[in-house]
Amino acid sequence: MMDASIAPLGAELEALASTLRRSVVEVRTRGAGAGSGIIWSANGLIVTNAHVARTDHATIVLWDGRELDGIVTAHDPRRDLATIAVDPASVTLAAATIGHATDLRTGDVVVALGHPWGITGAIALGIVHAVEARRGAPRWIRADIRLAPGNSGGPLADARGRVVGVNTLIAGGLGVAVPTTTVSRFLDQVEARRARSRSRAA
Amino acid sequence: MAGPSTTTPPAGGVLESLSNDLAGAVDRAGQSVVAIHARRRIPASGVHWRPGIIVAAHHTIQREDDITISLADGSTIAATLAGRDPTTDLAVLKVDEAKVPVASLADASAIRVGTLVLALGRPGTAVTASLGVISTVGGEWRTWHGGTIDRFVRLDLSIYDGFSGGPLVDAGGRVLGVNTSGLSRGAALAIPASTVNRVVDQLVQTGRVARGYLGLGMQAVRLPAALVGKLSLPNDIGLMVVSTEPNGPGDSAGILIGDVLIAVADKPVGDPADVLGLLGGDQIGKTLSTRIIRAGEPKNVSITIGERPRDPRDARGSRRGR
Repeated sequence: MMDASIAPLGAELEALASTLRRSVVEVRTRGAGAGSGIIWSANGLIVTNAHVARTDHATIVLWDGRELDGIVTAHDPRRDLATIAVDPASVTLAAATIGHATDLRTGDVVVALGHPWGITGAIALGIVHAVEARRGAPRWIRADIRLAPGNSGGPLADARGRVVGVNTLIAGGLGVAVPTTTVSRFLDQVEARRARSRSRAA
Repeated sequence: MAGPSTTTPPAGGVLESLSNDLAGAVDRAGQSVVAIHARRRIPASGVHWRPGIIVAAHHTIQREDDITISLADGSTIAATLAGRDPTTDLAVLKVDEAKVPVASLADASAIRVGTLVLALGRPGTAVTASLGVISTVGGEWRTWHGGTIDRFVRLDLSIYDGFSGGPLVDAGGRVLGVNTSGLSRGAALAIPASTVNRVVDQLVQTGRVARGYLGLGMQAVRLPAALVGKLSLPNDIGLMVVSTEPNGPGDSAGILIGDVLIAVADKPVGDPADVLGLLGGDQIGKTLSTRIIRAGEPKNVSITIGERPRDPRDARGSRRGR
């Protein structure tokens, strides 16, 4: 039952948004408009949708307006995921806290942060509508939340602001996100491929 | 993998407890939400309302044989249609044994503007949810098919495909009513639990919800000022009879096409809904006094209220709504 007063809800949401916003970037590419991205690690790794990062280069705009050059380092259209590298030397990057997509339950509160219709750092509140699983692993997170173009590549976070998914598309009025478990698998494969090519080069 | 994080979000906040409450409500109430397979395309939702009694939205039941329901425990069982009431968009299915709990109903006073609510559905195997608030609560109203709903409950939330027939629940998982998009050209409305109980009682007992019936099609018309003055009428609107059902109650009483009803049961009428309001199921067999104008002259006619026959089209449900 709801015993706690909801009075601090707004303040908590505001704090969550202002923290999460520092880990969300705008991804601009020539010709493809703008989407969002998530600072995955402070060493310059940004995760976004493949459909947001269709070119080799992207301009990354941080929450405070600073612009960085980004190089698209991996691109997986099947999972609709991509990585972009930026030079971490010039700025201090605030990595997002990554949560556990496998723990999500239908009804859980989720927050999306992104740049819908080009509006910078907009927040949306909703709940998990369904977690679509395949062989026990979450495949898609469907959320009862209002998203718009520009949210693509941005985070879907849990009630504590931990990223659980990458907002990817809108289907039947629902926000659809790629779970972070899928992102981790994607990043592991990218890393393994890179290690192989390094050893070949050596 | 996750790199070093600059912040650690705090645990135990209000948002997290809200999240836990809502997920808990979905889990509890979802046990009594079923999927109903009685149409092509995606299944619709229903609620295990009483032991062996499933409530559904009438418009989603598009065939009357070979109906199955899927339960929260993963089983799929056969169901038979006990009856349907198109006027309130409700239908009742019977099942032999449903090994899932029945819905836990909230007190009627819980239906208030601003109440945080979840709409639940099971348009497949898993229970799904949408969140919103009750945006309007009004008094008793009549649907465009003539059904009476105890309270007008409008929702600010999304009724997704397959959600009609699913429950509206509060943050404690208690059921406030049944959601449908079939009563209002797509807007999300809830039928309060009190109305559902009343309709379920009638459908279980008799297989139908009886409605009174005159067998007359009527349309509002403006009366000429001279006539209004001559007959000292209280207003200048009447209901012109534009069709009569052969051998129906109105026809049998001598009502003709072109007659204009100006009063029913001594009350002026200006809208067909005024007449529908006097035709509840308990009025069947009673006599209704009407005052009409025929050829410019007033006339009193008594009509014996009949029972509305079943419309064969009802058996097909409707594609309107979700």
